[in-house]
This record gives sequence, C-alpha cells and structure tokens, in this order.
Amino acid sequence: MKTIFIIARRTWKTAFSNRATIALTLILGIALCLATFIGWQNFKIQNSQRLKYKELVREKWLEKPDKHPHRMAHYGYLAFRDKHELSFFDFGIESFAGVSIFLEAHKQNTVNFSEAGFSNGMLRFGEMSVAMVLQLLVPLLIFFLGYHSISAEREAGTLKIILCQGVSWRQLLSGKTLGIIAVSFSLFIPVILLTVLLWAMLSNWQVSMDASLRLVFLVLSYAVYFIICAGISVLVSAFHSSSKSALTILLVLWVFFAIVMPRITQALGVILYPSPSKMEFSAAIASDLHKEGDSHDPDDPHYAKIKADVLKKYKVDDVKKLPFNYGGYVMAEGEKISAGIYNQHQRELNKTFEQQNSFTVAASYLNPFLAIKNLSMALTAADFKTYMDFQNQAEAYRYGLAQRMNKLQIEKISNTAPGEKEKPLSISRSNWAEQPDFQYTFQPVSSVISNHFWSILSLLCWFSGVLIFLNISSKWVKTI
Amino acid sequence: MNQSIYLLEFKLFFRNKAAMAGILILLISGFAGLYFGEKFIRQQDIVIEKASQTQEKNTGTNLKHFGKDPGLFLYHNKFSMVNVPDRWAAFANGQRDINPYLISVSMLAVEGQIYDTDLVNPSTLLLGNMDLAFVFIFLFPLVIIAFCYNLLSADQESGVWAILKSQSGALSALIWRKFSVRIISVFTVAMVLMTSAIFYLKLPLDGRLLLILTLLSLYLLFWFSLSFWVISRGKSSNYNAVLLISFWVVLNIISPAILNVWLTQQYPVPEALETLVKQREGYHEKWDLDKSKTMDKFYAHYPQFKQYPFPSELSFSWYWYYAMQQMGDDEASAGARSMAEKLNKRHDFTNLTALFLPGIQTQLRLNELAGSDLENHLKFQQAIKAYHEQIRLYFYPVVFKEETLANVAWDEFKVAQYKGHTTGYVWQNLASVFILSLLFSILAVYNFKRKTSLF
Repeated sequence: MKTIFIIARRTWKTAFSNRATIALTLILGIALCLATFIGWQNFKIQNSQRLKYKELVREKWLEKPDKHPHRMAHYGYLAFRDKHELSFFDFGIESFAGVSIFLEAHKQNTVNFSEAGFSNGMLRFGEMSVAMVLQLLVPLLIFFLGYHSISAEREAGTLKIILCQGVSWRQLLSGKTLGIIAVSFSLFIPVILLTVLLWAMLSNWQVSMDASLRLVFLVLSYAVYFIICAGISVLVSAFHSSSKSALTILLVLWVFFAIVMPRITQALGVILYPSPSKMEFSAAIASDLHKEGDSHDPDDPHYAKIKADVLKKYKVDDVKKLPFNYGGYVMAEGEKISAGIYNQHQRELNKTFEQQNSFTVAASYLNPFLAIKNLSMALTAADFKTYMDFQNQAEAYRYGLAQRMNKLQIEKISNTAPGEKEKPLSISRSNWAEQPDFQYTFQPVSSVISNHFWSILSLLCWFSGVLIFLNISSKWVKTI
Repeated sequence: MNQSIYLLEFKLFFRNKAAMAGILILLISGFAGLYFGEKFIRQQDIVIEKASQTQEKNTGTNLKHFGKDPGLFLYHNKFSMVNVPDRWAAFANGQRDINPYLISVSMLAVEGQIYDTDLVNPSTLLLGNMDLAFVFIFLFPLVIIAFCYNLLSADQESGVWAILKSQSGALSALIWRKFSVRIISVFTVAMVLMTSAIFYLKLPLDGRLLLILTLLSLYLLFWFSLSFWVISRGKSSNYNAVLLISFWVVLNIISPAILNVWLTQQYPVPEALETLVKQREGYHEKWDLDKSKTMDKFYAHYPQFKQYPFPSELSFSWYWYYAMQQMGDDEASAGARSMAEKLNKRHDFTNLTALFLPGIQTQLRLNELAGSDLENHLKFQQAIKAYHEQIRLYFYPVVFKEETLANVAWDEFKVAQYKGHTTGYVWQNLASVFILSLLFSILAVYNFKRKTSLF
C-alpha cells in the first residue's frame, strides 16, 4: 500500500512540475467557475421570464368576467415548463425541449418555443455548462496527464528499474492511477465546493433536501467517472510501447466516445424505432375516435346509447326535460373518451421515444461518456423522462380543467338553450378561482434513481471493470 | 525523377498504419453520414407526399359533417403547407429536425398555429444528426491533424532527419513534398465522398455545387495551414498533437459552447411568450366586449368587407367569430415583429462572431445553402402567413354572405409548397477562412525560412 502512495505522490508532483499541466488546470478551473456563473444567470433569466408569464396567465384567468363555462374551457390555460434549480449544472435537453403549452378543451397541443427553435444552428455545437466541462474537457486533461504515465518510463528505460526494485505491476498501475486521480481531484474538489457554495449563495441559502441529495449523487458519479478515465489512460499507456501511440489511441477514443458515437447510437435508435409524424399521429387518433363513436352524428350508436341510458335513468322522454345541462354531460363524456384515446397514443409515442433513447443507454456499457451524460441529465432534471413527466402533468391539468368546466356547465347552466337573439347563458366569475394554478412538481430523487437504474449500473460496471483490469493486467502487459 | 520521389513519399505515407486507418475512418463515417442524412430527408419526403392525400381525405370528411355550415367547416378544416427539403438538405440536415416542415392551419388566428412543433424526441435533437456535413466539419480536421502533427518531428525523433539533412540540400522542398502527399490524400477522400454524394443524393450540378466545394476545400485548407504552422515551430510530436487537438477543441467545441450561452443570455426571446399571451387575450377578451368594438377594428383592417351586412342582433355569428379571431392576430403582430427582430439580432451576432471560427461559419453557410437553417424556417413561416391570408380573403366573403361551399375552387387550396435557400454570408465566409488560412501559411513559411537550419 505504501508503495502505491509513494508512486501516486511522485506522479502528482511530476504532473504539477509541468507548467502546461498547471496552465491547463487553471484554464479548466476558470472555465468551470465561468460555466457555473453563466449557468446560473441563464437559469435566472429563463425562469424569471417563465414565472412572469405564469403569473400573468393566472391573473388574466381570475380577471375573466361572468361567462359560459365552456368559453372558459376554450380560453384554457398556458403552462410553462419549470427549470429545475440544478439545471444550471447540466443543461441536458433543456434547450431542445419546448417551454410553453396551451391547454384547452378537446385538444392536446404541443409544447412550443424551444431555445433550439430560435437558434440558427450554432447550438448544435453544444452549450457551455459545468457538466460539459466535466464530461468532455476534464477527461481530455486526464488523458493528457496519463498517456505517458507508463510508456514514458518504458521509453526512458526506468520501467525495468522500478520493477526490479520489487514494485509489482499492480502497485505501479494503481499508484499511477491514484496519482492522476489526485491531480484531477485537486481540480474537481475545489471547483465543486465553489459551485456548491455559489449555488447555495445564489439561491439565498434556501436549498431543498432533494436538490442537495441530487447534487451529492452528481458529485459521486463524476468522481467515479474521473476514476474510470484515469484508469483507462494508465492502462492504455501500459499497453503501448511508445507514448506517442498511447496518446494517439487515447485521443481517438476520446473523439469517438464523446463526439461520434453518441450521434450514431441515437441515429440508429431513430431508424430502428421510427416515430410517427404529427400527421400520422393525429390520423391514428382520429380513426380510433371514429371507432368509438362520432358525437357529430345523431344516429351514432355509442352516443345514442348514452342518450338512451340517461333518458332511462331520469325517466324522461326528451333530453330537454333533464334536470341538468345535457350539452355539458355529452361534452364531459366526449372529453373522457378522447382524452383516453389520446393518452394511449401519447404513451405509445413516448414508449417509442424511450426505445430510441434506450440505444444510448445500452451503448453506455461500451462508452462511459454516455453513462455519465445520461445520469447527469437525469439528476439535474434536464432529461427526457422529466420532460415526459411535465407533458403528463400538463395533460392531467388540461383534463381536470376541461372536466371542471363541464361540471360547472352541467350543474349551473340551464338545460334550455336561449334563443338566437337572447343573451348567452353565463355563470359567476367567482367560479374561476376554483381552478388551481398549474404547478409542476419534480419527481423525487428516489424515482430518478429507479428510472435510471441501467445507467447507474453501467457506470458501476465501468468502475469495477477498470479496477479489476488494473489489478490483473500484469499478466499481459510487457515490460519492454 | 520528381514523379518517382512523390511515388516514394506516397509509399512511405501509406506504410504507416495510421494513414490507412484515417482514410478508412473518413470513408466509413462519410458513407454513414450520407446514409443517415439521406434517410432523414427521405422520411420528410414521404410525409410530404402523403400530406396532400391526407388533406384531401380530411377535407372530404369535414365537408360531409359540416359542409352545410361554412363557418363551422372552416373552424375544423386545415390547410397544409410544406417546406420541401432541398436536395442539399440531405448533405446538411441543419435545423430541419427542430423546425416543423409541415404546418397545417385552419382559418383561426394564425399566430396561435404556426409555432406548433412536430412530434420530436428532444434527446435526438440534443445529440444531433450524423450527416456528411458533420463528417467534414468535425472529423476531417481530426484526420488532418493525425496525418500532419508528426510530419517533421517523427523524423527528428527517429534520427532520420539528421541523415536527410546531411544528404539533401532542399529541405523545404522535402517538407513540402511530404505535406502535399497528405493534402492530396485528404482531398482525394473528400472528392470521393463528394462524388458519391452527387450521385447518391442526386445533387444538381450547378453553381451552388461549386460554391460548396470551394467552401469545403477552404475549410480543409485552413486545417492544413494550421497544422503546417504548428509543425513549423519544430516542437516534439506529443507537443504538436496536444496543441493541435487543443485548437480543434477550442475552435469547434469550447468557443461555440461559450458563444451559445452568451447568446441565450444576451438575447433572450421573451417576445415568443408575449406573442402567445397577446394572441390568446386579443381573441378571447372580445367575447366579453361590445360587438361593435371588434367590428370597427375589423373594418379598419379590411374596409372591403364593410359591404357585407353584419347580423348584430344575433348573439353569435361566424362573422363576429372570425372578426374576433382576426383581432388575436392583429394584437399579436407587434410581438411577432419584435420576435423576428430579436432573431435577426441573434443571427447577426452569430455571423459576426463566427467569422473567427472557421468550423462554425462553414457549418452555418452549408445549412444556409442547403435551405436547412433558421432563416429558411422563418421565411417558411412568412409564406404560411401569406397563404393563410389568401385563405381568409377567399373564405371571409363566403362566411359573411353565408354562401354554400359548393362553388369553392378546391384546386386553389391543395397542399401549398415552400422552397428556398439563401447565400447571404457566403462571401464573407470565404474571405475570412481564406485570410485565416493565408495567415497561418505565411507564419509557417516564415518559421521554416528562419529555422530550417536549426532543425
């Protein structure tokens, strides 16, 4: 054990005796601080914008005068997607997902106005966030530090001497890895502490338990990721006769894992699990709705049965004699059917999307970059699952609003329609406040962990794989 | 004599495993890029093909259900417009996955309809498409770096250089020979890929092809000149590799990433939400106002419709309804205009900063030329607005006069098409990449002139 620490300390000292290392570390440190600050600013600007309009929407809703409840159902509601406070850390799909959704009766709308829709294409090159620096650039630094860790000793002829002095391969590899981990942590730990401090300060020391837990898991995951990267760099160096070839291989790995592979896996997922176009999607819903019955057709068997049942129940021979508003009753029934069918199709669509994404999750067993990317997005609530959850909560709210208005119509609107030239029926505006404001609630961290079990497992697989390989690779590695 | 030396240099170059590997990587990823890019656009073509059939069917159904009531029919019926992908869009997919390429609008307020997105998987959008443009922008430079970084240093480190120096007088000619072998190899691969693209994507042989070839060649030359400059400094192979990779990371990853967050922060687009709110209020509040207020504004916008008598005694009429819808658009128009201005500002900012980033600007110009950029989409939106206006002008009188739909010339309302691309900034781009390449080449030549004796 002692030998390992001696080697680790030696590696650490040599690394920091190199001016280039210090410069790179400093640059990355500054980049991280900058990323934290900009990330937070962005979060604040975007969130305050959404909050402003959210309040405006609520105010306008309450201000509406006496009306027919169905008018209110069509006036509908605007919901804005909240940003999680940790999204300053990792932007995830944030910029590519819509921000606002219009919720109205009978109709499910799309979530519109994503940042990507306002971009002329530069956004495709990525966004500077703490996560980006940690995922992409810190591994590059680790590779720069690690590529000559063993091969340079071999080239200089010192490797033989070290091994002759009774140091085992296992000790040498572990020591070198530990040294590189120490260098990367001497950058990572202060910056993370700073990030946490800045985050707590910027949120006025009002930090929730759930967010803190998420952050702890994030820090742990990144620590594991750096250990994996350090292990890989030392192993590659050990298996190459020259530093030059070790460096080339590491750079190729980096480019392939971080830049090329993510695109390919996702593209494959999309090709193998094609999702329908909007037109096909709406057509499928329309045809299912048609099967269920056509509310516009007076002879439709489904709606005729509803009518007959109601007439029978209230023992009347005409819907006009019913003690409640029959129009509202039919609409409530229609909303139930159409929402059910829509939700079923939406679930299928989301399943297709998840199947597309599952390629990237599976590929994370081949590529640790994808593992940390998926996990980091999930922990900062900037992933597809959170977006899906927002859509579901918004749809539930939409349904609740439409049915509440239908209920008000059934109960409070007369069943006798006014004449063409008479004043339309309405109910008091005091009813509007009954409809609560839309409030998105984030999933707790426990559900994030159970949802992303496979990503977590892949990171752990990589971690243990690297550790095991560091211990047993002495069997294959050559001294000269 | 000269020819055979070149032949030997080629042999020497290809004896290196890395050379073959680099070329293979480019070819494989290039063909993959062609496949994925084409597949992506073909999917859109298929949907577009189906669109007219679907619209015809839906219009038929709507006519059956609501045909007797033109107002109600127009409330339900949708008219589609498609943004037909250019052949080049398969080469550079650009923003075509983010922005909808098929938008269907009814005669209701258009501002409430044109921002609807397609059904997309945000994770796919985040990771981006793998098209041939991506291979050119990201992977070609890496292979150029891999080919060049040890051009001089490898010989120095193996001791061959000392022998060469003592035996050959014209060292700069030797370096140039080695360098041109690499340039020729990379350009050959590029030409193979572009020729395949011409056949596979059925690209038209016109001025645009020449322009894009020039753009790509200049971009590749930029990376060669940068590599040339780095090796001219006479440092070790490892140093060169690290420096060149750092250049690549800074130019193609870090700078755009910083610029993006800067852009989002400097130019937020609250106008989008503003427009949304205004459109919704502008229409809905009219239900609670005196009808004459709406109608006065409506007639101010369309004096020609004053001739149709307004049934003010009815508590509801489609005449009034569409006038209210029109108010949604009229009151949101200022917001929509300022949103367009904001997007223009963003556009200018990116184009200005991109002048110093060859990768970004080449990508932006490719998107522009392929009609897959934001500007193309904004023009598409304008085209839909114009089409929507045409629909209104045709159907408003039908509704106001309560005519039947029997005499409608449906042929005028088939799925409309939009096609287009711009060449806006291509000359600035060519100039800036050319100047940057020239700058590094001059620095490199200067270094070689000054230092060849030292190597």
